[in-house]
Parts: sequence; C-alpha cells; structure tokens
Amino acid sequence: METKMANDTGMSFSIDKQSLDELNLLGKFSPGSVFFLFKQVKSSGGEQLLEEMFKNPLLNEEAINERSALFKFFGDANFTFPFDPEQLNIMSDYVDGAVPGTHIVNYASVLFKSITSRITRDEQFKQLILGLQATIRTLKKCYSLVIAINGNEKVPDFYKWRIEQLMQIFKKDELSKLIDTDIYRSMSANNIASYDYLIRHMLKEHVSTLLNFICEVDVNISVGNVANTKGFIYARAYPKKQNMFRAADLRHPAINGAIGNNIEMSDRSNVIFLTGANMAGKSTWMKSIAINMYLAHIGFPVAAKSMEFSIREGIYSSINVGDNIGAGYSHFYAEVLRVKQAADATATGKRLLLIFDELFKGTNVKDAYDGTLAVTEAFAEYSNCLFIVSTHIIEVGEALKKHPNIQFAYMPTVMEGAVPRYTYKLEEGITEDRQGMMIIRNENILSLMGVTQNQS
Amino acid sequence: MERMFRSPLSDRDAISNRAGIISAFRQLNIRFPFEGWLLDKVEKYMSHANDINDAKKPELSEKETSDSVSAIIELFHVLRKFIENGDVNSIEGMAEERNATVALLNLPSLAPVFSEKAKAKLSYSAATAYDALFRIREKDKLTAVLQFIYLIDVYVSVADVARKHGFVFPFALPKDSGIIALEGVYHPELKHPVANNIVMNGNESIVFLTGANMAGKSTFLRAVSTALYIAHIGFPVAAKRMEFSVMDGIYTTVNLPDNLGIGASHFYAEVLRVKKIAMQLGEGKSLFVVFDELFRGTNVKDAHEGTVEVTRAFAKMKTSRFIISSHIVEAADQLSAESNICFYYLPTTMSDTTPVYTYALKGGVTDDRHGMIIIRNEGILETLKNGNKNG
Repeated sequence: METKMANDTGMSFSIDKQSLDELNLLGKFSPGSVFFLFKQVKSSGGEQLLEEMFKNPLLNEEAINERSALFKFFGDANFTFPFDPEQLNIMSDYVDGAVPGTHIVNYASVLFKSITSRITRDEQFKQLILGLQATIRTLKKCYSLVIAINGNEKVPDFYKWRIEQLMQIFKKDELSKLIDTDIYRSMSANNIASYDYLIRHMLKEHVSTLLNFICEVDVNISVGNVANTKGFIYARAYPKKQNMFRAADLRHPAINGAIGNNIEMSDRSNVIFLTGANMAGKSTWMKSIAINMYLAHIGFPVAAKSMEFSIREGIYSSINVGDNIGAGYSHFYAEVLRVKQAADATATGKRLLLIFDELFKGTNVKDAYDGTLAVTEAFAEYSNCLFIVSTHIIEVGEALKKHPNIQFAYMPTVMEGAVPRYTYKLEEGITEDRQGMMIIRNENILSLMGVTQNQS
Repeated sequence: MERMFRSPLSDRDAISNRAGIISAFRQLNIRFPFEGWLLDKVEKYMSHANDINDAKKPELSEKETSDSVSAIIELFHVLRKFIENGDVNSIEGMAEERNATVALLNLPSLAPVFSEKAKAKLSYSAATAYDALFRIREKDKLTAVLQFIYLIDVYVSVADVARKHGFVFPFALPKDSGIIALEGVYHPELKHPVANNIVMNGNESIVFLTGANMAGKSTFLRAVSTALYIAHIGFPVAAKRMEFSVMDGIYTTVNLPDNLGIGASHFYAEVLRVKKIAMQLGEGKSLFVVFDELFRGTNVKDAHEGTVEVTRAFAKMKTSRFIISSHIVEAADQLSAESNICFYYLPTTMSDTTPVYTYALKGGVTDDRHGMIIIRNEGILETLKNGNKNG
C-alpha cells in the first residue's frame, strides 16, 4: 500500500503539447486561450503562480478540493486585492537586493550612502528610501488583510493554520514597530539603517513568506472573481477508483453565451459516440469536456452548473489534426500516429480521457469505416478510460449498438426554410439529419442546369 | 504583364495571335534591346511629365533633365535600330503595333532626335528644347512608344521562361468543340514533377478522380487548371503538348477554406459555388470546372448522394468539361452507367509499412485499402488488445 502511494506522487498528469494547443489551454498571449480567461491577476508574482498552477494539474483529490474550496472562500468573501502592483515590484526589488553582512557593515553602508547622497545626490540612497517606504506600506496593508481574513467565519479549516502563522509573524515586536512607522515623517539615517537591517536581514524569511502570501492572495482573489463574474462553479473531485464523471450544463468556458449540455460517464458507460453536421457543434462540445476536465484537475472553477469527477491521469485529444506536408505525412497518417500514441498511453493502464474528433477523415470511406469501428471497439474495452469519438460515418454507430457501454449522442440541425440552424443541444441517438441533400435540393442546382430532378 | 494575367481571353483568334507572337519570339531568340537603367531613367523623367503642375514634386535639376533627354534620344535610336534590323519584322502578329510605332518614329516633330548622334553631349539650350518636346508637346507619342517597349519586354521574358522550362504553346480550338487534350502536363512550381496525360472531349466530358489523400489528386487538378488558365492568356504551358477549346470560364474548387467567420460551413460554401456554376451552365456557357473532394464537409451518405446527383447533371452538359475528385469510391459504381464519364485514379503502393505514391495517373477507380493496412501496421489494435485493461 505504501509503495502504491509513492508511485502516485511520483506520477504526473499526462497531456502533451498537441492537446494543450488543440484545447487552447495555455496560450499566454492569445486572447482566446483558457489561461487568458483567468489571467486577471494584478502582480507579476501572482501571474507566475497562476501559470505554475495551470501547468501542473493535480492527481490528488484532497489537494484539488482544498484548492477549489479556497478559491470559493475568496470569491464568496469578496475581498479586493489591496496592494499596488508598482509598490510590490519596488518592494521585491528592494528585498532581493540585500547584500549579506552584519549589522555594523550594513549600518556603515547606509550611513555612507546617506552622506554621499547629500554631497552628490546619490540615486542609491533615494532607491533605498523608496524601497523601505514601499515595504512598510505593503506590510501595513498585508496586516489589515490578514486580520480581515482571520475575522471571517468561513475560513476553511485547512487554511486556518496558514492565517495563524501569518498572525504570529505580525506579532513580532520588530515588525509591529515597522508597521507603526509613519512614512510621511522624516526618518533619521540611524532609523533608516536599522529598518533596512530588519527587513533585509533579520526578518528576511518572514518578509518573503508575506510576499508569497500576497501572490497567493492575488491568484485566489482573481480566480474567485472570474468564477463569480462568469457564473462558474467548483467541481468536486473523487478518488480515481470511483471512475465517474458527471456534469450538468457543461459548456465552453471561453465562449460567451455558450450553450451547455449534460454528461454522465462511468466504467459501465465509458464511451460516447457523437454524430452531427459539420457546424452543429461537435468539436466545441468535445473541447468543452476536455477543457473543463483539465480546469477541474487544477482546482479551478469550471463552466457548468454542477460537476463531479474522479481523478484522471491524463488527457489525449485529436481535434483537427493538421497535415504535416513538410514531413511527407498525410493527414491520415498523422492521425494514425496520434491514435497510436493514445493507444500506447491507454495500454499502460492509465485512467485517461480520450477525445477523437472525426477519426480517420483523411482516407477513403471504406477504410474510415473499418478503422473507426475497430479502433472504437478496441478503446471501449478500457473501462477505466473515458473515450469520446465523433464521426461523419453514422453507419459505424449501427455496428456499435451491440456494446452496452457505448452511449450515442448527436448535435442536431434544424432547417429553417433553406438555412440550417444549430441548437447545440445534445440529443440521444445517432443523427438522421440529411440536411446535406436538403440544402443541395433547396438551392435548385439541378434545375438551374436545365436538368430535370427525376433523372437522378 | 499583370493586366494580361488578370484578363484571360475568350476569343480564339486573340489567343492564337498572342501565342503565335510569343512562340516567334522564342524561335527567333529575340533579346530585349534596352538596358534596365535606361528605362528606369526615362520612366522617372516621364513621371515628372505626368504632374508637371504639381508644386509639391521637386523640379528636376538641370543635370537630371539633360541626362534624361540624352537617355530618351538613345532610347529612340536603339528602338529604331531594333525595328529596322531586328527579327520583329518577320512576326506577322505584331505588324499592327510595329507599323504604328514606325509611324510614330517617322513623325517630322521627332526628326531632330535622329539627327543627333546617340550618346552625344547636348548643349544647355538643346537640352531645354528637347525637354519641352518630350515632356509637353509630344508626351503622348513618347508614352505610346514606351507601351510598345513594355509589350516587347513581356514577350521576350515570357519566351525566355518558355525556353528555359521547355513550356509549349497550346493550340486553341473553336469554342464549344469541348476538347481538352494535354500530354505531359505537370505543375510548374514543383521541383520534380510527374507529368500526366489527359484527354477530354464529347465522349469523355467528365473525369472522376479517386486516390488516397497524399497520392497527388490536388496537385494534378492544379496542374491541369493552371495549364488551361495560362493557355487562355496565350502564354506557354507546362506540358509537352496541349490542345484546348476556348472556354467561357474556368471554375476550380481545390481546398476550399472553411469560412468560420461568417458562419457558413465548408459544405454550404461548396453548395453555393455549385449553384453559381449551375446558373452559368444553365445560361449555356462553356465552362471548365474542377471540384476537389466534392461535398466533403457533410456526412458520407449525403456526400455520396450529392456527388452522384450533381455529377450526373454535369454529364448532361454538351460543351463544358469537368474534373471531380472524391474519396467516395462507391459513387463511381453508380456513375459508371453514364457513358461520358471516365474514371482515373492516382495509385498508392506499399513499400513495407510506408505508402509510396507514383503520381502517375491510371485509368479506373482506386481500390487501395491502405488506410486499414496503415492502422494495422502501426500495431494500434494489438497494443490495445494486449494492454492493461484494469488499471
């Protein structure tokens, strides 16, 4: 049992660049990415932390549930980030710029700077004072924030020790002396030297703990806010053994006004066979599932009314596999290699979420039919994996109906006169839409050529 | 040049005429007689003539004016020599333009130009007099002369390209004869192209093309469409031999992009394109139409049915010619009943586990089943069969 635990912590969530790109999860500078959606942090340290969280999905349900509970606490409490990012930068630069040395050396150095500044208008001394002021100001705000959090009744239990730890730091005499300083009064060189020594040497560790706390608070507040403004909720994580996934009104988080759908999968119903017309929303639905599953694994809010999931160990997607003409591979071959990677990962026994959009579309219909059927049946046997496949070849669905663990769903098309309309509301079964021929007929193409319809 | 490329001709005589001229330029190996710097100088000078009243444009300096005038005098001398001694005289198709230019050069007002020696140093007063002559009094004549020089430039360079690449001049046939015959046609932009033959006429008005994705369907379609387009501007084509009936229009749909921005699907865009073509066909126009993977943006049943219906309707057209490529080999079975549809495919052969493409067109419908072979070769199904299914 103990070795198993060790294995668990040694493993990491597997998702590769192709899937990250297809789902547009990380794009730091692309406005449509999921990361961008959450990038509401104010400080650069906060952004770094956010990125770290985004890149490292968790494999432990307790860690996930704690993190999401903390986001929820901050979102509900409606704290605002009280710090000025500019002051934070000055403070970090100041704290990081310390030179190791004893009190005496430091005192002499400050005194020296103070004297030279009077003679030569030395910039260094001015920087030192600005850094000191920024630090005192920030510490004051931090203290009020910690008190406010401490006074909130809904602080999650697991977070209480953290707040207690911070309260202890502020109780130190040296620090309370600092906080009580009025920065708008002139300070003697003597005082400056002793404060400088306090912050950059004696209390260095505590100051950096407080700086980290500020970054965390930045992330907590902004993620909580995004959830509030977007109407996202927090998914509940369960141990991986439970092997389940259930969500109501699940939708694409980065599309405004996206239409939601329900989903329920388990080891007895681990495959979804998805059909529908080209623009009907198949790809968006598949992406929504994978993106929200990813968000849930980093403890972030998801775009749904409710969501419960057991821990997955990775996500594999194949959406719009590009032609790699440079390497001489066809679209089809690229897709085969992608499926092969997924098969290799699946065969290891990992609990994966696999998403294949229009499998094998780059080959002739016979092969696409045989390939889709064979591959779907082979993956379907892995009851600990969730597998979602979409296709244009609705005939494959008929052949799959004998498997009780395969669900059939489709995105419908409604014809309004000659124009197709898409509801984006999932329905059970296999699509019977024949709007392809309807559109061709509606456009009167054959009669335009002077050919009568009955000849065909 | 750009104007010629933008406006294909739909008049057989005009096409033959232009092709004849360029062909003659190629055979006679005519060189462009003017040096680049000379034309640059004259063009710059003339651009000042265009807006002589534009106060914002700085006046030409005295030296520039004098140099430019000398350049024009030299240009005239070279041109006259080119026309009098050169091979252009023997090119029948150019007689009209040539005679017009000769008439211009013989105008009494330009006579002083030819009494100067080429490259002679001009006095200040002479330069001023010529300046007024070129830029104001005879500006239109000079412009007409330049147009003639540009024409020669185009013919010389196109003939050069034809010589360098071994392009041929297609033979234009009367409109409505519905013949497209290409021998050794290839894509001019490829480094090692494979040439193919294709013949379309009244009995074979539709080519139904099948083959794997990378087998070269799109490249072949591009090669044929490019040749037909180039032929319609009277330029030489990348082929060994070509005959074609003059068409009223060419419609190609190779890799039609999804236009997600306006919400129209690929499929709908394709239907609208087919509709546009159908309207033109309904008006009795002779068209050359290419569809790469017709209706690929919809489910297979509809794509199958749609391809068969539309192809059958196309088959009823007497003077238009079509090439349609498709993944749906089953559609070919149903279409084989039509007598004027012929079937070609681009083959795939397997070398061990990798598909190899010959790019050489073959008659018939592909029965390649390499899709499943590749899937099997990669061992995907075995991996899954023998994998750890219980975690």
